[in-house]
Amino acid sequence: MKCKICDKEAVGAYCEAHEKAHTNLVKEYNAWKKALEISWKEYLSEVAKNPYTGSWVKEVAEHLIKSE
Amino acid sequence: MEKYALIVTEKPEAARRIAQALDKEGKPEKVEEKGVPYFNAFRDRKLVVVPALGHLYTVVHEMGGRNYYPVFSFKWAPRYLAERGAKNIRTWLEVISGLAGGAEEFIDACDYDIEGSLIGYCVLKYACQNKENNAKRMKFSTLMKSELEKAYDELLPRLDFGLIEAGKTRHEVDWLYGINLSRALTLAAKRWSGRYATLSTGRVQGPTLKFLVEREKEILCFVPTPYWTIKAEAEIKDSIYEAEYEKERIERKADADAVVKACEGKTGEIKNVDIKKFRQMPPFPFDVGSLQIEAYRLFGYTPRGTLNIAERLYLEALISYPRTSSQKLPPVIDYKAILTGLSKDSSYRGSALTLLGKGELKPNEGKKADPAHPAVYPTGNLPERPLSDPEKRIFDLVVKRFLAVFGEPAVKESMRVNIEVNGHLFYLHGRQILKAGWMRFYEPYIKTEEVLLPPLKEGETIRLRHVIREDKFTNPPPRYNPSSLLKKMEEEGIGTKATRADIVETLYGRGYIAEQRIFVTSLGFDVTEILGNYCPNVIAVELTRELEEKMEQIQNKSEKRGSVLVEAVDRLKPIMEDFKEMEQAIGEALSNAIKRARMQERIIGECPNCGTGKLLILYSRKTGKRFIGCTSFFKGICKTSFPLPQRGTVKPARRNCRACEWPLLDVRIKGKRPWALCFNPLCPLKEERKREVQNL
Repeated sequence: MKCKICDKEAVGAYCEAHEKAHTNLVKEYNAWKKALEISWKEYLSEVAKNPYTGSWVKEVAEHLIKSE
Repeated sequence: MEKYALIVTEKPEAARRIAQALDKEGKPEKVEEKGVPYFNAFRDRKLVVVPALGHLYTVVHEMGGRNYYPVFSFKWAPRYLAERGAKNIRTWLEVISGLAGGAEEFIDACDYDIEGSLIGYCVLKYACQNKENNAKRMKFSTLMKSELEKAYDELLPRLDFGLIEAGKTRHEVDWLYGINLSRALTLAAKRWSGRYATLSTGRVQGPTLKFLVEREKEILCFVPTPYWTIKAEAEIKDSIYEAEYEKERIERKADADAVVKACEGKTGEIKNVDIKKFRQMPPFPFDVGSLQIEAYRLFGYTPRGTLNIAERLYLEALISYPRTSSQKLPPVIDYKAILTGLSKDSSYRGSALTLLGKGELKPNEGKKADPAHPAVYPTGNLPERPLSDPEKRIFDLVVKRFLAVFGEPAVKESMRVNIEVNGHLFYLHGRQILKAGWMRFYEPYIKTEEVLLPPLKEGETIRLRHVIREDKFTNPPPRYNPSSLLKKMEEEGIGTKATRADIVETLYGRGYIAEQRIFVTSLGFDVTEILGNYCPNVIAVELTRELEEKMEQIQNKSEKRGSVLVEAVDRLKPIMEDFKEMEQAIGEALSNAIKRARMQERIIGECPNCGTGKLLILYSRKTGKRFIGCTSFFKGICKTSFPLPQRGTVKPARRNCRACEWPLLDVRIKGKRPWALCFNPLCPLKEERKREVQNL
């Protein structure tokens, strides 16, 4: 199976790199929820536009925004 | 014909210095034979001082040929047999061999370290026909006349074979790893794609690139989290001071807002005033690593650049031998003589005389020692020619660090005032230098920011005029720069003080990394990933570190060259066998990586017109001319295109125009200064420049 984002070999839904980025993205939602009381969708768009966000995480966030 | 002693040095400038120092009248005769300079000097007898040009010999494959691997048989041979650009080495060796014929005694006066000892050994063994066993050794750390004379008068009876064996082994092990792995990578890619591209890795290169890839992955997978800090403007006797909230980081916005609401405009009471005095010891003398790190911090010089400059200063007898890992300055270097020499320069006179006026001079030394050389120090000589700006800076830095290490400790005072406001604590911080000590010798390389607070007492009241919430995010780990990467390599125990800077340069040269704040290119990523998947041992730090330790042991004579080589080959063989088995898969992966990297190199950025495609450097099939086009053209969406200069090289600059924010291109044309091109025809800067030209 191919990664939904970059067409590389997937280990789950994504390739190894995007899978790791996805895990981090999910893990950090709790901190954002606690800090700003925001929804998952709001969180994704905040992360996608944040300049400190890593490119792989941005790609996952943008992919999730489009697909959800 | 009169017989003489042949003195072999590492470089021509060192030969000139040594001949000048040893000649009775300080005026040796310079001779040039087929373009190779050497010097005739007279002391107690005739001396001929001939330079090498760094390494004249190298490790080569015994059988020759390039298109196969693995290769395990090697020999030492002149460099001109192995390197295309080293033709002059043949003449050089002919001249040395000719001079060796008339010599009755041989002296190695190359730098006293692994590389220097190996250079001298190879010249004596191969160019002078096996004179290595009865040659003597000059040992010195500076090219000062007095030290060179002493080294000549007290010649070591034989070469340091511990250093030589360690050097030989290092070159041989590095050759075995480098040639096999790099050849395997290059051939695998070539056999799959039919196209040649130089790929390389090595015993130290692989693990170093892995550090960078790991850091890059952390940055790419980083999710910032929000947090808040609170600052307050505290009003004290008509002046405003900045106070910090007791918690450095607040995790919830609502909590931060609550603090602001509770404290804004309120008056608080000073609960206590903590005053602490502390001493700050002088820095340690420079070893090569700390000099490179400091030069990068202060001037942005790369480690390789700093080392080159330091070596030039050493060859002019301005500083001691820079490739040292010592942080010690033994009294034998004669501190007073150095300070007296430096006091002849008006910019160092004040500091040097102050130190000379002290009773006892005792440097603040670090723990690191080097059996061959002391830490880097100025010789006390002043430049005989105007130094270039970078040379001036490095020289000044070495001098000031030398002065600083003899200084008194600095005495500083810190003050913390705790103010309670409506149940919340705020801190006011003050910093003051009570006694500058060594710091005044090290100016301007040390910055001291003082914050002076007025006298404050417990129970006094202070009003917080404004309380400000600052919105922040956690940051990804910092990127390595050439200096911090060098530090990391040192911490991990891979490479040596002499080779680390070159390894970093090679990574840049291969296109695996780019920029000063290092990012790993897609090629660097892919090569590491492929090696990690198919032959993980190649990029394993442990393997490199273990070999490194063994090679150190050869130097101490507790390990033998033969057994280290056998072990290196034993480890390499299975790696190469595995590689061979998977060559096709590796070749395919590498070819795809090269293709991606080449494509990546041509991507300039997002298309500013359609917003969906990417701008690429393309070549017209009809005319062969290059231009910028949008990838969406192929989907029939966007026809954006821009012309490009047809001469020289054009590369994406990876930064944007300061006026219009469009991506810039780096253009290099032979004979012209490189420039950054903004291809936006409507860029305001272009208009501005037009107007400037018209006004002229």
